[in-house]
Amino acid sequence: MLEIKNLTKVYADGTVALRDVSFKVEDGEFLIIIGLSGSGKSTLLRCINRLVEPTTGQILWDGQDITAADQTELRHIRRKIGMIFQQFNLVNRSNVLTNVLTGRLGYVKQRQSLLHRFPQADRELAFKALDRLGIRDQAYKRADELSGGQQQRVGIARALMQEPHIILADEPVASLDPVLAHSILEHLEVLNQEEEITVLCSLHYIDLVQRYASRVIGLRDGEIVYHGSREDIRRMTDAEFKNIYGQEAVRVGGGLEGSVGGSDDKTI
Amino acid sequence: MTKLYKPEQPRSSLVTGPVAAFASCITPGLGQLLTLQIWRGLLVLGSMASILGLLAWRAVALAPRETGLLAIFSKALARRPFFIGGVLLGALILWLWNVWDAYQQAEPQRRGGVAIFALILFLFFTLGWQISEINLYKAVTELPDVWPLLSKVLWPWEAAVTRDTETVIATAPIQIPCEGSAPESPAPIAGQPYIIAAPTCGELSYMDENNDLVMGTPLHLEGEGFAPNMKTQIYWKDSVGQEFHVRYQGEYVDVQTDSVGEFEVDLVMPYRLQPPSAKGVQLHEVQARQVSEVGGLKPSEPLLLSVERMIETIFLGMMATVFGIVFAIPVSFLAAKNLMSGSKLTLSVYYLTRTILNIIRSIEPLIWVIIAAQWVGLGPFAGIIALTVHSIAALSKLYSEAIEGINTGPIEAIEATGATRLQMIMYAVIPQMIPPFVSFSIYRWDINVRMSTIIGLVGGGGIGFLLIQYIRLLNFRAAGIAVWFIAITVALLDYISAEIRERYT
Repeated sequence: MLEIKNLTKVYADGTVALRDVSFKVEDGEFLIIIGLSGSGKSTLLRCINRLVEPTTGQILWDGQDITAADQTELRHIRRKIGMIFQQFNLVNRSNVLTNVLTGRLGYVKQRQSLLHRFPQADRELAFKALDRLGIRDQAYKRADELSGGQQQRVGIARALMQEPHIILADEPVASLDPVLAHSILEHLEVLNQEEEITVLCSLHYIDLVQRYASRVIGLRDGEIVYHGSREDIRRMTDAEFKNIYGQEAVRVGGGLEGSVGGSDDKTI
Repeated sequence: MTKLYKPEQPRSSLVTGPVAAFASCITPGLGQLLTLQIWRGLLVLGSMASILGLLAWRAVALAPRETGLLAIFSKALARRPFFIGGVLLGALILWLWNVWDAYQQAEPQRRGGVAIFALILFLFFTLGWQISEINLYKAVTELPDVWPLLSKVLWPWEAAVTRDTETVIATAPIQIPCEGSAPESPAPIAGQPYIIAAPTCGELSYMDENNDLVMGTPLHLEGEGFAPNMKTQIYWKDSVGQEFHVRYQGEYVDVQTDSVGEFEVDLVMPYRLQPPSAKGVQLHEVQARQVSEVGGLKPSEPLLLSVERMIETIFLGMMATVFGIVFAIPVSFLAAKNLMSGSKLTLSVYYLTRTILNIIRSIEPLIWVIIAAQWVGLGPFAGIIALTVHSIAALSKLYSEAIEGINTGPIEAIEATGATRLQMIMYAVIPQMIPPFVSFSIYRWDINVRMSTIIGLVGGGGIGFLLIQYIRLLNFRAAGIAVWFIAITVALLDYISAEIRERYT
């Protein structure tokens, strides 16, 4: 169980990205975080594996305080938390296999890995992961030769190599078209259901939220303004919607298919 | 936010049209200034002043001996009527136009018009043509003069190979002047070439006080025992052992032997500048030489030297590049803004580094060579120092820009997998850095080899050093060989470097 307690993040320039955020995530949940660009979704996800250092507050994972972990402990925590990104964040010049294998960096011996040597078992694991995502035949291509959807699948394979208990997905489909978006989220759903990996995912599109979320958190200006189950989303009122997305936001398609524009803004 | 476009507010004029025109009549541009067309007024004023100033300067240059404005201009006008007259006329038109323009500018609705600036540009162009001494007539009529040189440089390969030569010499002593007993020509030896000179004493040609050549004693030579039907050159060896090919009426004295290897030739004892200390009897020598080529073709000295110097040049460029890379890598970190924007101190280091690099880079390697040659002397080492200094500055800038352009996404992603800092650098930073580093370094090597062919001209070693020596010796065929080597090497390297960069990035 992941427990976020009174998490606050203030950036060096004074921007308050998160204000006193607290919530719990049970193992095996598919938690989706919604909110406008700049509402703090990315910061929240990055605080969990401390890519961003929280200013105050605690993050407890099965009783261990992530915020208090030293460097070695942090690396051990991080390798159990996979992460996928909006821009995929692959090393473009390396081939797909190498990109996937970087998921094992937290496990392998440092000296071996610096020479680009990985144990045979890890290579087999990598091919298995590529197989699972249907891109085994791309293994020796350069990462930037792949299409966007394929690149994101490499990203998922990399996260899978960590044998994670949690996957953090920071707007994983914002750079993809709707068909690809579904295919990527379906992969995450399968991992969530078959491997019981907890998924924390930030999303823009309400229709995707309704389809995949087991629970939803709405962020606005760094504060939690909405908290609901999958069923609650279907019954979301206009007032709740505008509370998350602002008074100017327009719901399309009778409230269920609502979405908000501006998916490409950089989030804090 | 900066405003990119500010709509021009039609500012009201301070004066009416006629007043503006009158002001411009007295001082060009003043009227425009008074109508608050500040830039226009300053431009007209500045242009008019520059044109008249430059014209006066050229007129003085054309009539340096005259005094007084009128005298200078009339002399200059007589020498270059089209240039001086044309610019004067143009300046007059400009002045009239400026008066009319000032009148126009007083009315906001009639403002604008850039034709006046076209006239100004044309006048500057005319002045520039004269100042830079462009002479198309000369370029066309004297074009054939360049051909002897150009043909040698373009096709120098006759000088690329040579053969060993063997010289057969027969000599006869000549005494200058005739005093006492004259020496005897050596006695003929059967089967050996020999010459008989008559007479064996006399006077050399000399210059009289009017610098006219006074012919020396006529000399008759008979030769026997030489190779038949072959060119034989007549040489002179003076009393201090200097040997030279004798000329008679401007032509080298050469003679063809007949079918039995004999010849006869008449000449005049040659001119030789005598030092005032040369007094009394001197013993000279007349020689008949037959030069024949023996053995196969072999590479000539210019060819061998060009190959040697070319290799030296390529390595010179390589060493300078390697040193440049070694120093540029650490410096580039100091010059990368994303790394140095942490605190005020680091930021000031960044600005300081950037400034120094910009200054070093703006000084050409040719100038660095001159400085380095003072330090370590002429030669390739001076060239290496010069190119290294310039390479450090150039590469640091390029590298630092590569560092600034690094994508932080992969770094974040690798960190998130629980990788150590070293692993993160190995997997996320280095793969991103290598392509630009390799690309810039090879490009720099390319530039350095190209530059090292030039820096030799001012003493930086390499093939340029050889080239400038051949040019100064007027040995254009040898220079041509060096030029060909430079061209081939630069073209090849250009191709290779482009190819590698293409593959690697």
